[in-house]
Amino acid sequence: MLPPESEIGRVNARAGASAVPVSPETYAVLSSGLDAGTRFAGCFDVTIGPLVALWRSARASLAPPDAAGIERALPLVDYRDLLLDSRKGTAALRHPGQSVDLGGIGKGLAGDSIREVLRRCGVGSAYSNLGGNVVTLGAKPDGSPWQIGIQHPREERGLVGAVAVVDEAVVTSGDYQRYFTDRNGRRHHHILDPTTGYPAASGLVSVTIVAGDSLVADVLSTALFVAGMEKGLEHLGRFPGAGAVFVDAGLRVYVTEGLRSRFRPAEGVRFAALN
Amino acid sequence: MIGWIIGGVVVVALGIAGGVGWSALRREHKEARNLPLNAVDFGRLRDGTYHGAYAGGMYKWRANACQVTVSGGRVTGIELVGSDDPGGENTQHHALYDRVIEAQSLPVDTISGATLTSKAYLQAVENALVQAQGD
Repeated sequence: MLPPESEIGRVNARAGASAVPVSPETYAVLSSGLDAGTRFAGCFDVTIGPLVALWRSARASLAPPDAAGIERALPLVDYRDLLLDSRKGTAALRHPGQSVDLGGIGKGLAGDSIREVLRRCGVGSAYSNLGGNVVTLGAKPDGSPWQIGIQHPREERGLVGAVAVVDEAVVTSGDYQRYFTDRNGRRHHHILDPTTGYPAASGLVSVTIVAGDSLVADVLSTALFVAGMEKGLEHLGRFPGAGAVFVDAGLRVYVTEGLRSRFRPAEGVRFAALN
Repeated sequence: MIGWIIGGVVVVALGIAGGVGWSALRREHKEARNLPLNAVDFGRLRDGTYHGAYAGGMYKWRANACQVTVSGGRVTGIELVGSDDPGGENTQHHALYDRVIEAQSLPVDTISGATLTSKAYLQAVENALVQAQGD
């Protein structure tokens, strides 16, 4: 939950009323969010706040939101209603009740910022791990690539495998990270489909993205999780140098061609390469 | 005037105390961060039971001890045999130990999609395993 005094909190509080001046950093992340909305139409929306709020209270009460509530929230989710004015450095939301939520982009941006600070301080070799969002700077001190494990989506103590990376980010979106089980025993995870208003049901349980920037990796992992593998691969094709590891509901593992030689499966895990 | 001098002295003293405290905390944190299991060559472990302890950083906050069993050249069991961690009642070290056992074939630096913090538990494991390494 955003503190109301935060910049984004103020933008949300003034939704439908007025534009709010924001810092260049906030402006940049909102602008990236807007851009992601255009690129991944229907699969990523930075104005998903009203739905996130609905599902957050659902998790607290262990009961999914009623359909009417979702119907009311859906029209409020539209990134095109986030109005940025680069000249004035302001952000605004067109309609009352709309709100920005930086899930799927905020941690990514933070990871890139950390790497930038380290780089400016002359650090040549480092990694940061913000709650599972990994960003590496350079190679390991001994010159070899970092080995980044990928959490197994169903075995708490297991890995799907590991990818070797240098100066890249590795971000995973999975249905196992935050979820609740309702009274009927149905599981609801936290990655929402901005088109349906419900947790994404694209047939994937985990998407890992390897990319140069952690912001890109963060947005891609969320958007591809929502889009599903087929559509996701189309999106991924527009990001040269980015690779993905998908795990589907049958726990089958798929690795994109560019990552194949850098991916090592965990013991007992079999995978298929994607072209 | 004298009030200003006293005030100045207090500010300087607080500054020094804060600086000392901060650097001490930083050292403790730095120690905790730099505890990967990279001193162990998992390909050269001799069978046996080994004990390892970690003093827990400068302030002993993370002191713990463990017993590691190696059989057939592989780590087959790790047990916590002592901990000063007030939070040591919880069971997070089990997950960590299991990860060590699993990671023998796939050593990783960190994990995407998961949070993993308690490196202090790993230090005692490493200390035990260093003894298990063949020469």
